[in-house]
Amino acid sequence: MIAASPRPVLETRGLVRVLGEGDARNEILHGVDLAIPQGEFCAIMGPSGSGKSTLMYLLGALDRPSGGSVLIDGADTAKLDDDALAAVRNRKIGFIFQFHYLMPEFTALENVMMPLLKGGASSRQARARASALLGDLGLGDKLGRIPGRLSGGEQQRVAIARSLANEPLVILGDEPTGNLDTKNADRVFAVFEQLAREKRQTIVVVTHDPDMAARTDRILRIVDGRIVDDGPTKEVLERMG
Amino acid sequence: MNPALLLFIARRHLSSNFLRTCISVGGVAIGVCFMIMMSSLMTGFEGKFVKETIESSPHVTVFDDFRAGEDDFDHWADRAAGGPVEVEGGKPRSRIFRIKKPLEILDSVRRLEGIEAAAPNVVGSSILSFGAKETGSTMYGIDPEAQEAVVATDQYVQGGRMTDLYSSGGAVIVGSGVAERLGVKKGDTIGVSLRSGGTRSLKVVAILHTGVTTIDFSRSYVLVSLAQQVLGMGRDVNRIVMRLRDHTQAPEIAVRVEKLVGYRTESWQEANQNFLSIFVLQQAITYIVTSGIMIVAGFGILNILIMLVLEKYPEIAMMKSMGFTARDIALAFFIEGVAIGILGVLVGSSLGYYLTEFVGTLPIPQKGLVESEHLIMNNMPRNYYIAAAAAMLVTMVASVLPALRAGRMDPVETLRGHA
Ligand SMILES: Nc1ncnc2c1ncn2[C@@H]1O[C@H](COP(=O)(O)OP(=O)(O)O)[C@@H](O)[C@H]1O
Ligand SMILES: [Mg+2]
Repeated sequence: MIAASPRPVLETRGLVRVLGEGDARNEILHGVDLAIPQGEFCAIMGPSGSGKSTLMYLLGALDRPSGGSVLIDGADTAKLDDDALAAVRNRKIGFIFQFHYLMPEFTALENVMMPLLKGGASSRQARARASALLGDLGLGDKLGRIPGRLSGGEQQRVAIARSLANEPLVILGDEPTGNLDTKNADRVFAVFEQLAREKRQTIVVVTHDPDMAARTDRILRIVDGRIVDDGPTKEVLERMG
Repeated sequence: MNPALLLFIARRHLSSNFLRTCISVGGVAIGVCFMIMMSSLMTGFEGKFVKETIESSPHVTVFDDFRAGEDDFDHWADRAAGGPVEVEGGKPRSRIFRIKKPLEILDSVRRLEGIEAAAPNVVGSSILSFGAKETGSTMYGIDPEAQEAVVATDQYVQGGRMTDLYSSGGAVIVGSGVAERLGVKKGDTIGVSLRSGGTRSLKVVAILHTGVTTIDFSRSYVLVSLAQQVLGMGRDVNRIVMRLRDHTQAPEIAVRVEKLVGYRTESWQEANQNFLSIFVLQQAITYIVTSGIMIVAGFGILNILIMLVLEKYPEIAMMKSMGFTARDIALAFFIEGVAIGILGVLVGSSLGYYLTEFVGTLPIPQKGLVESEHLIMNNMPRNYYIAAAAAMLVTMVASVLPALRAGRMDPVETLRGHA
């Protein structure tokens, strides 16, 4: 295992998230504390409705906390305005969702170029980087295809390439393999393992699949908006039975 | 912000949803096309009327009259102020049917700045007869040379010239309508009743055909001296007509002349006020109707963009998670709306040009105020500028709402809905 760096890349302190108002008021997260160091491959597990996605949106600066704080690379998201948060998402975060949300009018290559162009890369740089990424993910011969002409597994790999485009510090996957068959899910996890080991990128993945979770370094278990277990993968899996 | 990227996204959205783009572009284009055609038609008719009016009638006319002034007793009988006296059975002051010393007046107005030419007129109603046929006519006593410098009438004279009036005693040029009513042609001799009783014979030396029905069916021209005799005017005249270097200056110059000579002086705009105000109304109606078309097109864009935005919510959420700001996204959709507007203006302008030209060739003869074989179209650039401005305004307004909506959408809410 790689030694943790002194400062965590992702950190939450007493994180609370309340949704709805009045009678519909619903506290989803009840004070979550966690710290994830650079290069760690981490799984979040928990029953449906326990607040995993809510936590992911907060960790990715897509959402703001109702209480407590989220620190991304040491910066408190509460202190950043909308534009600064957008910049954080562009440079430091790569999102992968269960559904790929590719832009249907754009080719695989153009989809992967989007975050690069948004980040200010030249068209030539973006093209080179995007085609290299897609090549690494085995899509080198499908650069010019629009999403509608790719299989589900291929689409999800394009989405992964897109999340990696700006070499983000953190890759957040909310059930990224939830829609894929075992073979494709396997491939995706292999990519994650490689990124964490070789590029020291921090990866946080929500999964329901114990076999997939087994390939991570650490598992966080959430039940009803609270972390109920947190530790090295083997130990947590043993405790889960 | 990254304009090139936003343009790229907007362009791809438009080209990939080709049918939808065509429909919204088509809506704008139809609005632009009809606005151009309608305003060409309206301004064409008005332009022709104005052109013929300033060619065929004097720019400024001095009448044998005073402008209705304040009555001497008015301030005594001020009703609003509850004045002490009420005047009953008051009669208008007797009109003066002459302009005294016309030559001196002509001399002084000719020296005024902006006045190109001036001529004396003796105008009055007369009764013309040819055999058993009789018709009323407004007789103009003119000095053909001086008159021609004020109103170009020669071009409308058939079978002769205005100066033919100088020919041996008793020549008349009658309007084509008058000639028609009397059944006379050039060379015939007609009679005119004198104010003093009796008749006098006049030889028709030419026919006047201007195309303006009101003129053709009423006028007859003779020399000043002859008209004075017919109308019993002695050596006086009752009008002085003027041509200006710049016909648009007529209202101001009329005021100046009136101050100078003391008689009521009217500009061509004042004389044709009723027509000109109808044109203003007509233009207003045109713009209201075509704006209606444009607003419908605007709702089309609004509708299509809102559908597009709603349909793209998941992608927009993803774009936000990639670091696009609300402003970026709003701008991308706004650009789409503006692009639809620009395309609509381009397509609509070219369609409008051809439609206008086509309508102008339709054989729709007109009589009345203005005579023409076709509808008179004024296919001028200004119509295009106005239509383009209206279309762009409407598309921009219609794009703002969907664009803002796209920018403000909450990505988390959308992602929750799908996950
Ligand atoms: N708009 C909302 N208002 C109130 N509660 C909500 C709203 N959206 C989701 N929730 C609730 O938040 C809880 C956590 O949702 P989520 O984070 O998606 O859980 P998970 O990803 O673990 O399945 C769920 O119990 C859900 O019912
Ligand atoms: Mg979830």
